Amino acid sequence: MRQLGVISVAGRNPKLTHGAKAATTGSGALLDAKIQSLHASALEQLALATTLEAVEAVRIEALGRKGKLAELSKELGKLPPDQRGPQGKLLNAAKQDLESKINARQAALEAEALNRRLDSEWLDLTTPAPGIRPGALHPVTQVQQELEQLFASLGFAVVDGPEVETEHYNFDALNIPADHPARDMQDTFWLKDGRLLRTHTSPVQIRALEKLGPPLKMIAPGRVFRNEEVDPSHEHTFYQLEGMMVDRDVSVAHLIYFMKTLLSAIFRRDVTVRLRPGFFPFVEPGFELDIQCLICGGAGCPVCKQSGWVELLPCGLVHPAVLRAGGADPEKWSGFAFGLGLTRLAMMRYGIDDIRLLNSGDLRFLNQFRA
Amino acid sequence: MKFSYTWLREMVEGLDESPQDLMRLITLKTAECEGVEETGALLAQASEARVVTVEPLGKNVKAIVATENYGIRTVVCGAPNCRPGLRTIYVPLGKKTVEGVESDGMLASAAELGISRDHSGIVELKETLRLKPDWVIEVDNKSLTHRPDLWGHYGMAREVAAITGKKLLDPVCETNPTGPQIKVMIEDYALCPRYSALVFENVTIQPSPLWLQYRLEAIGLNPISNIVDVTNFVMAELSQPMHAFDADKLHGGQIIVRNAHPGEKLPALNGETYELDPSNLVIADPEGAVALAGVIGGAGSAISATTTRIVLESACFNASSIRKTSSKLKLRTDASMRFEKAQDPVNTVRGLARALELLQEVSPGIRLVGGLADAYQPLKPLEPIHLDLDCLNRKLGCTVAPAEVRRILEALEFKVDENFNVTVPSWRATKDISIKEDLVEEIGRMIGYDNITPVPPLSPARVPPANPEREFHHKVREMAAAQGFTEVYNYSFIGEESARLFGFKDLVETDHDYLRPSLLPGILKNIADNARHFDNFRFFEIGNEVHPDHEEPHLVAVIFSKETQLLELKRLADCLLPGLEVRPTTAHPWEHPQRAAVVESPGAITPHVSAGIGRLFEFHPKLVENGRAAVLDLNLNLLHQPHEVRYKPLRRFPESAFDLSFIVPARTLIADVQAAIPKLPEILSVEFLREFALAEGRSLTYRITLGAADRTLTSEEVAAIREQILTTVQFRSTL
Repeated sequence: MRQLGVISVAGRNPKLTHGAKAATTGSGALLDAKIQSLHASALEQLALATTLEAVEAVRIEALGRKGKLAELSKELGKLPPDQRGPQGKLLNAAKQDLESKINARQAALEAEALNRRLDSEWLDLTTPAPGIRPGALHPVTQVQQELEQLFASLGFAVVDGPEVETEHYNFDALNIPADHPARDMQDTFWLKDGRLLRTHTSPVQIRALEKLGPPLKMIAPGRVFRNEEVDPSHEHTFYQLEGMMVDRDVSVAHLIYFMKTLLSAIFRRDVTVRLRPGFFPFVEPGFELDIQCLICGGAGCPVCKQSGWVELLPCGLVHPAVLRAGGADPEKWSGFAFGLGLTRLAMMRYGIDDIRLLNSGDLRFLNQFRA
Repeated sequence: MKFSYTWLREMVEGLDESPQDLMRLITLKTAECEGVEETGALLAQASEARVVTVEPLGKNVKAIVATENYGIRTVVCGAPNCRPGLRTIYVPLGKKTVEGVESDGMLASAAELGISRDHSGIVELKETLRLKPDWVIEVDNKSLTHRPDLWGHYGMAREVAAITGKKLLDPVCETNPTGPQIKVMIEDYALCPRYSALVFENVTIQPSPLWLQYRLEAIGLNPISNIVDVTNFVMAELSQPMHAFDADKLHGGQIIVRNAHPGEKLPALNGETYELDPSNLVIADPEGAVALAGVIGGAGSAISATTTRIVLESACFNASSIRKTSSKLKLRTDASMRFEKAQDPVNTVRGLARALELLQEVSPGIRLVGGLADAYQPLKPLEPIHLDLDCLNRKLGCTVAPAEVRRILEALEFKVDENFNVTVPSWRATKDISIKEDLVEEIGRMIGYDNITPVPPLSPARVPPANPEREFHHKVREMAAAQGFTEVYNYSFIGEESARLFGFKDLVETDHDYLRPSLLPGILKNIADNARHFDNFRFFEIGNEVHPDHEEPHLVAVIFSKETQLLELKRLADCLLPGLEVRPTTAHPWEHPQRAAVVESPGAITPHVSAGIGRLFEFHPKLVENGRAAVLDLNLNLLHQPHEVRYKPLRRFPESAFDLSFIVPARTLIADVQAAIPKLPEILSVEFLREFALAEGRSLTYRITLGAADRTLTSEEVAAIREQILTTVQFRSTL
């Protein structure tokens, strides 16, 4: 390396050899020898320097403001003018050569040090990431939020009603008078004070009409209660989503269109729906809406009990008595309403086969619904 | 409700749809069918047979039988009544060898053939065997709630005739015998619009003919004896419940329909004795109640094997009265189920006419005594409903030809005049049809909803009213989930034990539970349940507390861990409402006595007296095993404090900061020391940094950042403020 350095100096400045011949003349030759010796000794020291500090010491000794090369440049000033040029070039060549070699050495040592440090910074990236993970929203919440967004995009208001209801809102205003056999369809939790736990989200139809008036597009998701024995497919506490649209001349044709659009969005594919008569006192005409079985496509399978159709939701045109109870004139306004089983929808979506898990608070179950 | 396919076919001329097709049509146009099942399948191959000889064979007999369709057959038969000369039914099924005898086919019991539930022996055939396999269509009762007429085969046959465009055949030949032999007195026609009766003598009580038993058995009614079977048959055909009294067990030749006396007792046919009150309607003779009207007959007047004279009742009762009685006494019968749907008073005499005809067949020699007893209030004529065809088309969203509208209504036996004034038939007029919308449904279902083209609703674009509370609840859910809490749902009910444990007052009660005035009981159970599976977990619930006069949405979040995570949980509260304050307070009995605090809104005015917006606490360790449960319970209505964000210009001059440590007695609150720092305009923020526990108390370090809007504070100014803070805090701490 030292040899290469010398050759490099000679190579870059051919006048060094020429100068060497000229060095026989007086103090010029002396300076020449000093430069050569300084250059050689600096390279020797550099070769021995193994730390950045040692390299820096070599730099200061050779190239520093008060270093050896600086001393030689003072001698250069004392030379006769004709010799200054060649000697100056020699001095400069030596300086440049040393500078570049010292820099290179320094860079090499720095790179080495960096490599050593980085090497010591080995990190096992297969270590599990620390910190808490997001929890899960309840599967019914997830389905509910999705539907709320879907309906909001269709211009529906989200309306809330109380879970403890009066007989008026839960039954009478919905055209279900006392002792109507339709009350048997919904086993009721009665409270000792005469109120009840709402058996459906339909009372919100009346509350929304009273509060917002027609025209109106609204949904009301929420908790409902039926006084039933609990088993894998029956719960006394579950979730529904009521929907209603009241406007001028709302028809069965509108209802079919709307339900088809809505259900295609919910199931994220085109669904075929059919209406058939269904009796619910708060709609007239009333329907059961079936969708063509999504499992078999209508050919018949165990899920649809070979019928090709799955019963999904009740719906109908809002009964005039209901509109009146909500303060809307049925001669001016008409509407459709429907009730979606949120709990059932969540069970369908996630393949949950035991409804009791939903109210179990069991994190082994609920944590499976992390987003 | 079960419908026999054969029965329906008898009343619809030329009905040739298969049972499965019929089921589909009924589902699409009338009411939901739950399924169709074949019954009496063995009858397809059954043949009349006569037992020729019988030889004992172990426990059985070897019988040679002469069959009508299969010639002479040898069968091994175990029935006790298998005897030479018996006419019975042979089925060519079951070839086997029994004790060396090859048995080819079988002699069948009525139960095996599906004719009745009798399996005491093989059928003793008196008539010609004409029974054939049948199909039973089961219709969901709920979908018949509004249709009193569909609780009988004739009503369904009318639907089928209208759907298929075929002719309906009425099974009833109305006769009108006069000269009542029994007096009927109705106290209140509102409760009993009509009571009709016939009296018969020379009655023979015996099993019904097989065809009648088979009909009843197919649709799930147990054949009993000829008279009872006829009443059930008429009920199943015409939807008219009937009752037969033993006329010799009625007193005074008089039937009274009245409210029960308080405490009046009635031993009923089912072996129970019911104690009645005036809300129950009874059928009585002058000596007392003989039946619970429209629900069940009395034991004292029931027909028996020795009955020779009967009074046959065919009446109509008020629907809600029957429903009240039936639900109060928890007694639902085939009759009460029909009456509570509001039956047609016109139907009572049709029922009697049909029964008269059938009784003559099933009880040979029976004689009608006199004629019809019939008490009723004249019905007020039905007002026709005007059906505006434009309105019809607007409701359906399609155009139906007027002729088609007329055809459909007339097929369903509505009367339609030239102006489309529609008269509703009596059997649809009791409850079912009263407004034009009801007629829209009749047209809609009969044209078929599949034939209505979907049309997008035209409604003006409107931004729906916002629901900020619900949006906030969703925001809270997202925040809690992001911090590792999983959402649970708990029931709204709590039991006696929870109510005691938490000392709840003013509870809202159901029949056997309370409604939760706090989410904590459910949460405590969740903790115990999940602690069996996990050492650490987090969860939350958003739900309503139920108080006597309002519902209050709450968030409860929990961190369960070996060591308390109250401060980590406090972070959730901080994230939900930045700047909220937590004020240690007296613990409730279910809370850790040293780890309970009230959560206050930022800058709450009366922090020491208000209940705040909730609580942060650890459950008392005696309530939680294997770990500590930190709990945050917040009232979401109070937590929801929407505020508008306003931009403030960025500070142009540098800030200065210094740290101050205060040495304070043990259990001095970090917040109290911080609150003691004066609120100077130059103080931009005070931030608690750390504490050191010292022998003499706590050393609390705060970083104080100063600044001014219009200049850089000089070091003298900073020093002066520092001095002022120190003096103030020291001064306050000595108070």
